[in-house]
Amino acid sequence: MTNHWIDLRNSDCILIIGSNAAENHPISFKWVTAAMTRANNPAKLISVDPRFTRTSSKADIYAPIRSGTDIAFIGGMIRYILNDMQSLSRTERAEKYNLTYLTQYTNAALIIHSEFEGWKDPTHPGLFVGFTENTNPAPGNLGGYSKSKWGYADAGSPDTDAALLGNNWTNWSDLNPKCVLRLLWENYEDFTPEMVEKVTGCPQSTFEQVCEAYAATGAPGKAGTIMYAMGTTQHTYGTQNIRGYAILQLLLGNIGVAGGGINALRGTSNVQGSTDMCLLSHILPGYLSVVNHKLQTLEQYVDTVGRKGKAPVVPKGLAGDKSASWWWLSESAQNYKKYLVSLLKAWWMDNATEENDFCFNYLPKINAGQDADYTHIGTFEAVAKGIVKGMMVWGQNPAVGGPDAEGERKALEKLDWLMVTDLFETETAAFWYRDGADPGSIGTEVFLLPAACSYEKQGSISNSGRWAQWRYKALDPIGEAKSDLAIVDALVLKLKEKYAGETGPKADPINQLYWDYHTEGEYADEADPNKVALEIHGYYTKDVGDKKKGDLVTNFVSLATDGSTCSGNWLYSGMFTTDGRNKAKDRDPVDASLNQIGLYSGWSWCWPINRRIIYNRASVDLDGSPWDDIHPVIAYQEGSHNPATNTCKWLGDIADGGWSPIAVSKNDGKPAYLPFIMQNEGVAHIWGPGRAEGPLPVAYEPWESPLETNLVTGVPAQLDESPKGMPGFNDPCCYVGDLGGMNQRGRPNWEDPTNGFNCVGTTYRVSEHWQAGQMTRNHPWLIELQPQPIAEMGEELADDVGVKNGDIVKVVTARGSIEAVAVVTKRFRRMTIGDKQVDHVGVPWHWGYKGLSKGISPNGSSGNVLTPHVGDANTTIPEYKTFLCRVEKA
Amino acid sequence: MAKAILFDSTKCTACRGCQVACKQWNNLEAEETVNTGTYENPPDLSSRTWLKMRFIEPPDGDGKVWLFSRRACMHCTEAGCVKVCPTGAVYHHEEGFVAYNKDICSGCGYCVDACPFDVPRMVGSTLTGKKKMEKCVFCADRVANEEKPACVKTCPTGALIYGERTEMVDLAEQRVSKLAADGVDAQLYGKDELDGLHVLYVLAHSPKDYKLPVNPEVSPSVTLWQDILKVMGYAAVGAVAGGLLLNYMVARARMVKEKEGK
Amino acid sequence: MAHHEVERFSAGARLFHWTVTITAIVLAITGLFLWVPAFGSLAEDSYSRIIHRVAAVILVAAPLLFFISRPGRALHFVKYIFTWGKDDIEWLKAAPDYYFGGDEKKMPPQGEMNTGQKLWSLVAFLSVIGFVVSGAIMWFAKASIPAELFLWVTIIHDLCFIVSASMTLVHLYLGAIHPRMTESLKSMLKGKVSVEYAKHHHGKWYAEISKGKETDNKQAPSTH
Repeated sequence: MTNHWIDLRNSDCILIIGSNAAENHPISFKWVTAAMTRANNPAKLISVDPRFTRTSSKADIYAPIRSGTDIAFIGGMIRYILNDMQSLSRTERAEKYNLTYLTQYTNAALIIHSEFEGWKDPTHPGLFVGFTENTNPAPGNLGGYSKSKWGYADAGSPDTDAALLGNNWTNWSDLNPKCVLRLLWENYEDFTPEMVEKVTGCPQSTFEQVCEAYAATGAPGKAGTIMYAMGTTQHTYGTQNIRGYAILQLLLGNIGVAGGGINALRGTSNVQGSTDMCLLSHILPGYLSVVNHKLQTLEQYVDTVGRKGKAPVVPKGLAGDKSASWWWLSESAQNYKKYLVSLLKAWWMDNATEENDFCFNYLPKINAGQDADYTHIGTFEAVAKGIVKGMMVWGQNPAVGGPDAEGERKALEKLDWLMVTDLFETETAAFWYRDGADPGSIGTEVFLLPAACSYEKQGSISNSGRWAQWRYKALDPIGEAKSDLAIVDALVLKLKEKYAGETGPKADPINQLYWDYHTEGEYADEADPNKVALEIHGYYTKDVGDKKKGDLVTNFVSLATDGSTCSGNWLYSGMFTTDGRNKAKDRDPVDASLNQIGLYSGWSWCWPINRRIIYNRASVDLDGSPWDDIHPVIAYQEGSHNPATNTCKWLGDIADGGWSPIAVSKNDGKPAYLPFIMQNEGVAHIWGPGRAEGPLPVAYEPWESPLETNLVTGVPAQLDESPKGMPGFNDPCCYVGDLGGMNQRGRPNWEDPTNGFNCVGTTYRVSEHWQAGQMTRNHPWLIELQPQPIAEMGEELADDVGVKNGDIVKVVTARGSIEAVAVVTKRFRRMTIGDKQVDHVGVPWHWGYKGLSKGISPNGSSGNVLTPHVGDANTTIPEYKTFLCRVEKA
Repeated sequence: MAKAILFDSTKCTACRGCQVACKQWNNLEAEETVNTGTYENPPDLSSRTWLKMRFIEPPDGDGKVWLFSRRACMHCTEAGCVKVCPTGAVYHHEEGFVAYNKDICSGCGYCVDACPFDVPRMVGSTLTGKKKMEKCVFCADRVANEEKPACVKTCPTGALIYGERTEMVDLAEQRVSKLAADGVDAQLYGKDELDGLHVLYVLAHSPKDYKLPVNPEVSPSVTLWQDILKVMGYAAVGAVAGGLLLNYMVARARMVKEKEGK
Repeated sequence: MAHHEVERFSAGARLFHWTVTITAIVLAITGLFLWVPAFGSLAEDSYSRIIHRVAAVILVAAPLLFFISRPGRALHFVKYIFTWGKDDIEWLKAAPDYYFGGDEKKMPPQGEMNTGQKLWSLVAFLSVIGFVVSGAIMWFAKASIPAELFLWVTIIHDLCFIVSASMTLVHLYLGAIHPRMTESLKSMLKGKVSVEYAKHHHGKWYAEISKGKETDNKQAPSTH
């Protein structure tokens, strides 16, 4: 979340898309409800979902869309807003939209490379300039782009469009043809309400209501927020879906302000923490880039990802001068290097020295596309091929939660050993004796380690709002169960024991690893989470000035490139006071924020340095006054400008960089820093050239689509033209897997629906169960509420296949089939998409073959038996949300 | 002062935290259920389900309405159960709600049939009749310690709130008029029904749509039974006894006289 | 018929009478626990209900056993209590004065049961049926019938109680206390009454039995 849970109450319009927050994030509705029921100007709620959910039941507007058509929907909204902007008079335009925000705080006015060509270019329909198909038959991305023509016209110092900056335009042709806003218009010009209805199935009138309600948040002082979750991300173009939201929010000036933002609702209480701490394969702790094998030395790495990758870009003609470019403030303040070196020191401590590159070479290096991809999908592909021989599964249950779950279960059979750490024996731990498996022929040795649950251990969790909150142990773990930290600790100490005396690339990183987390008392025999937290925050590794070795650093500003400090994660540096108070344990219930907008800054602590709303310098105008007087996040204290440091006192939240407001710095003849300090150009990315499939989202069809042609781009489906299939109307860069020959592509067959897959299937969760169900399917009170897997479908489809409410049905895809109880409901409606009548079938994915509540079919009725092993072009997050299926009466 | 729970259906997301919290606080065992084509479960109140949420999809709707309603004891002022309870096990707490002293429940089950909302449930042996009634007890133990009832405590959206009944009525009326101003056919249920329920409902449609009785009343037969028949019974037995006493005195006197006369 | 006594109730009839009497009293008392609020605490934990139901089973079983063992007698009784004639009207007219100590000669002669006893038997018979039917529904069909119907069944059960309890008082009084019914209680304890008592109270019956027409019908199974 850019903002935080409580901040939802400050919103004027809440757009919930790709999320069923009421069901899967029930507590979020405390604040949604607060926004909707406040006395003055209550907020409107919009729910966009293929299915009328418990969230939709509370919405002012419910907009049904076909699963996987978010980009068409959001693109239509973007078009509506641009069209509105263009057709208004200049005065009205400035009243209705925050043009200062749009032009000064985003890259809307910047000029793009002259040779950039959009997807409408007839020489490459549906594709941006620079595409190359990947003809390698092995699993991987369908294709890739050379992004050289996607950048700014002048990479170091791009031009801006003066007419746009001056609100001095009437027609699009008044703007530079390569100005971002004009390119944006061209990208979405065809996304008319008629087109949106045709593609998404959302009635035009409903869609226009949504646009009108949401565009109203564009006025200065108004805020709209987007709540999204896995319905957005779990697509082959999930990242582009989110890019769509970002563009929408930037057009409306909704980022950085209270009641605004893009709010990812995390699926578990500590997903934010796990991302921050690098449980994803492309990053190190604190979002530092993982090391590519080509970068052999620390200097090469720092030069590439830091000095070059984060080099400031200075746009011409903006009120602000430049970006602070936090990652690489200057040659004398190489933050990227400080953070990495401090991390290396935390890991290898005294063994990490300037002479040995601070053990840089002990970091695992990836060689993407060559050996293995370390994302979930890539890892299982490697397991299936026998490349990966051992696996630790920790608080996860891929036999239920993984895409093409039966394929992943089969892949597990190839492992030499498998360690599962969980509260219960999960489907993953039991894969070797599941129905249809032959235990005699499976050589995998399975270790099941009993884990403590959250109430049986202490430590911090980071919630969706980035709040790190310390939790205490309520009771001791049952039986032999241990906390995850205790298990890791024991494992590392055992590895060190085993490697003792050895040298070489495998032994050295472990032998040299600094590992000293035991303390006296309760944690004499296992790692003390308090000590781990101190190391994450960071301390001095030697005496520096008046600081002694072991003294805590103030925050990440204190970190150094010379190895004199350590910090396990720079973002969390600042969680402690220098005298050792863990702010994650703070529990001050007083809201001391400006106008009590609900920051509760004394309650726990959040990264970075307790900034509750990130990008908050965009919430004020050039003079530092909040756009919204009622919900001010920060405000410049008049007269507090310090000419010597070019900083000032900001009231309210911790300002995003302490520099004075743009106009104040400028008046003083000092560099005026643009608000988005982490971006190289200091302004936010409406134009986002970093993503795999293009700088702007284009409407692609889901991997398995009921259509023959992309109705927006006109690109036909191409299924058999190349080893993985030409991109056709799919995301051109999406990742296509191959789990031992399982069919990853289902085809519609409208002539013979018994032999094709004519329904759009989707998976989701219900309030009453959690994730792969280990905890909830072993809990009688929750099983009572949702005892069995269900398949939700509309009445029209049920009639067609002769299914009645409560019947057992079979849902079939190219991967497999599951049985579930039919829930026939008006909440799923048949949609007219192009010339097709499209029905949806929804399947919660919680069930499996273990636990007190099992599925109906022997395969556990796991929803993911149905899903394909394909993933997002940028992140490889699996395509869980849209696939083709058919329904049969069981 | 009377307390009340206010259920605002327009704020309820049917997460059913209340349903589970009720079981947790009151130590009620789970039921073994099956899915019958709805999210709603268990199918009905029972001796171990004192609170359940109803999921209502209007059959003639357009699929854009999904109503959620609370189903539990309404804690009536004119409470049929209290009226018929022979042992005083079901009684009005000083704070207005219908409290229950399980220890002295005789298991007669009269309350089950006297309840206009079909709430009390019996558990025990049909053969021997050794039974106890079970229903929502307003978390009397929590309330006595100035805690909210468990269902209210757990509600994330504020769809359930708890406090002085007069304040709850005020809040509900404000909410109803706010909703009405937005064009919702909102109404307050429970203010006057049965002389005032201690569970108030803010509804966005008619009570019927939420499967609530539109004009709940304690059955006239309960009145006939408790207020007329019982009095009649005492009167009849009293009259007979009195008559017999009179008869004895008169007959004896006359017979003595007769004997003496002989 | 020596010693101026005649047998009025056989041992079986007496056993039956006292079984039913005790059962009815138990039922009444345990029932009253739920009727009289002051007794409510006695009903706690359902023990009174268990007793009530055991008694109810006996109350049903006793007549059935009687019927099985002496079907003719039982049928005769039922027929007898439902057979009403002119004498009964006469009796009803004369009874008030008689029972208030008036001239017994004004009473029409009575058979083995006088009209009052018939009336009592009829009430007892019908209310037992009422109790048993309504009670069975309350016992076994509570969960399956509508609440409103259940309430009416309860009302019937209670109504049966009001009527039968009132009549029981009359019966107790006449059988054991009324100055004129000197041998009634004795007859049900020992089975015999004096010839004189029989003549006075059951003239027609005495006339029949003294003719030597000893039939199976001679003992009334009824209770007074």
